[in-house]
Amino acid sequence: MSHAFQFYATTLLVYLGVDVLSVWSLNLQYGMTGIYNFAWILFQSIGAYTAAVLTLGPSTANTGFQHFILGTSIPFPLPLLIAGAVAGVFSIPIGFVALRRLRADYEATVMLVISVVATLIVSNVQGMFNGTAGLSLIPEPLYTFLHVSTLSYSWLYVLFTAVVCGIVYIFVHRVTSSPLGRAMRAVRDNEAAAESLGKHVTSVRMFAFIFGNVIAGMSGALLVQFIGAWSPGAWFFVETLIILTAIIVGGTGNNGGVILGALLVPIVFNEATRYIPTSFAPAAIVDSVQWCVIGGLALAFLWFRPQGILPERRRRFPVPPEYAAMAAAGRYPPHDERGATGTPPVAVLASETES
Amino acid sequence: MTVSTLHDAPAATTGAVVPLLSVRNLRREFGGVVAVDDASFDVLPGTITSLIGPNGAGKSTAVGIIGGGIRPTKGTVQFAGEDLTGLPPYARAERGLIRTFQLSSQFSKLTVLENLLAAAPHQRGEQFRVLVFGKRLWREEQDRLLERAYELLVRFSMFEMRDEYAGNLSGGQKRLVEIMRALMANPKMVLLDEPMAGVNPTLARAIEGYLLDLAAEGVTLLLVEHELDVVERLSDNVVVMAQGRTIATGSMTELRENEEVVRAYLEG
Repeated sequence: MSHAFQFYATTLLVYLGVDVLSVWSLNLQYGMTGIYNFAWILFQSIGAYTAAVLTLGPSTANTGFQHFILGTSIPFPLPLLIAGAVAGVFSIPIGFVALRRLRADYEATVMLVISVVATLIVSNVQGMFNGTAGLSLIPEPLYTFLHVSTLSYSWLYVLFTAVVCGIVYIFVHRVTSSPLGRAMRAVRDNEAAAESLGKHVTSVRMFAFIFGNVIAGMSGALLVQFIGAWSPGAWFFVETLIILTAIIVGGTGNNGGVILGALLVPIVFNEATRYIPTSFAPAAIVDSVQWCVIGGLALAFLWFRPQGILPERRRRFPVPPEYAAMAAAGRYPPHDERGATGTPPVAVLASETES
Repeated sequence: MTVSTLHDAPAATTGAVVPLLSVRNLRREFGGVVAVDDASFDVLPGTITSLIGPNGAGKSTAVGIIGGGIRPTKGTVQFAGEDLTGLPPYARAERGLIRTFQLSSQFSKLTVLENLLAAAPHQRGEQFRVLVFGKRLWREEQDRLLERAYELLVRFSMFEMRDEYAGNLSGGQKRLVEIMRALMANPKMVLLDEPMAGVNPTLARAIEGYLLDLAAEGVTLLLVEHELDVVERLSDNVVVMAQGRTIATGSMTELRENEEVVRAYLEG
């Protein structure tokens, strides 16, 4: 493999890792809990900016050409972890505004507005994160310490990304396979019923929101430390739609399915548009074509296959044989007080259909 | 059937028994509309009480207030000796007061079995600690819940449907899921808002049988129901509402002799 191709491959793989974290994050919120987090990209950005200012050193460095707050250098892997934590902390006030007692459509609107307002603030307050120009020259973690070639470093970063994905998956799986994950899906399917059955709906939604946003923040940190730059152009609100489309295409509510979505939507379809011959379409159009492809994919899937390529898995449980036998014989469970010979008051066939 | 003899026993209606649910002077306005004006009634433990009245009488609003989904403008709701007024629905569910809904409210993309498992309150596995402890935290508890769920599925003849998505069930089957879900919580009392609405006659009779069984086992039921035949067959006590007020209580026989009730509802 040529060096150029290896650089391309490592870049794509790191992006894939970041996108996988992204889809898990938004899937916890949208796919599992039914939270319309249209401000998702904001939380990835909070992570990215946090990691940037925690590694860039004081803003007077590099002849002071960029202005930002909190400039410091703290050792790897603290910036990554703190980035997640900061995104989590910011989720709390935003969650309290958007997630409590707002109908889904208002919730989506509030999120969208928060995302746009945040972009405007960061773009216009020059001293916060260097305005529209954004932050650059963000150092790669341990690069000077490792003494390896740029290419080897890129492969090491791919490995590091994979490790982060693996660790995050353990936690995501713990939640989604647990009764808490089931409560999240119950809240998604019917909030009022879940609440009347003893679920603290606001807590469950806040948990999914914060947990998802911590992962989003970490994904931002992982990305910014690899590409070395971050500006408001990278996180305009429509970027959330790419991740949302990836989830819809891959399979809403399926942690494996959304990986496929992360591979197909941001990587394959986005990259494919790069290979459109310039004789066919001027380079400037390619970017617009990408958005058309994303929008078209989302529409097509919502219309023709709303469950996605790999739908949410049907969860089955082991059946004790005694219950199967009882059901077959039309009997009550033996420890029912009427004893094992009881039959239902009126035999109802399970195959009963609505008249 | 032993069930019906138990049900016919007059013990619960003698008045010496402390009510399980006690509703006093409930009032609720929506904008300028007074949905519930002045509703007061008691439900005695172990009984089936029906709430009847013409459309717009405020029955569903009253059930909504008791369940905690709707806040009353005035009045109190006492349950098992505790004032629940102002408590959110999940806190009432934790105290053993569970409601079902007029429209089917199943978790559509959960299987029938998962609908039941999700319905048990106070689960260790629903605590945020699962992030740290994983399956160790909830495996045993889940096994117990599974056993309870299988019992209910067998009892309600829904065992074969356990792995079906609840959203794919017929209207009647969804009703059964709703009742089974309420029972997963081991409730003291279940509020049933028209549990037989839109259900075919065979299944409706079956649901009646299940409700009588539950009452016989000590679960107190408050039922909103339009079919007076059903009300007569099931209820120990009937509360009549009209225009937001409770205008009478008593057995169906007594109510038929009450002129105000006949005017407000039975003839109308």
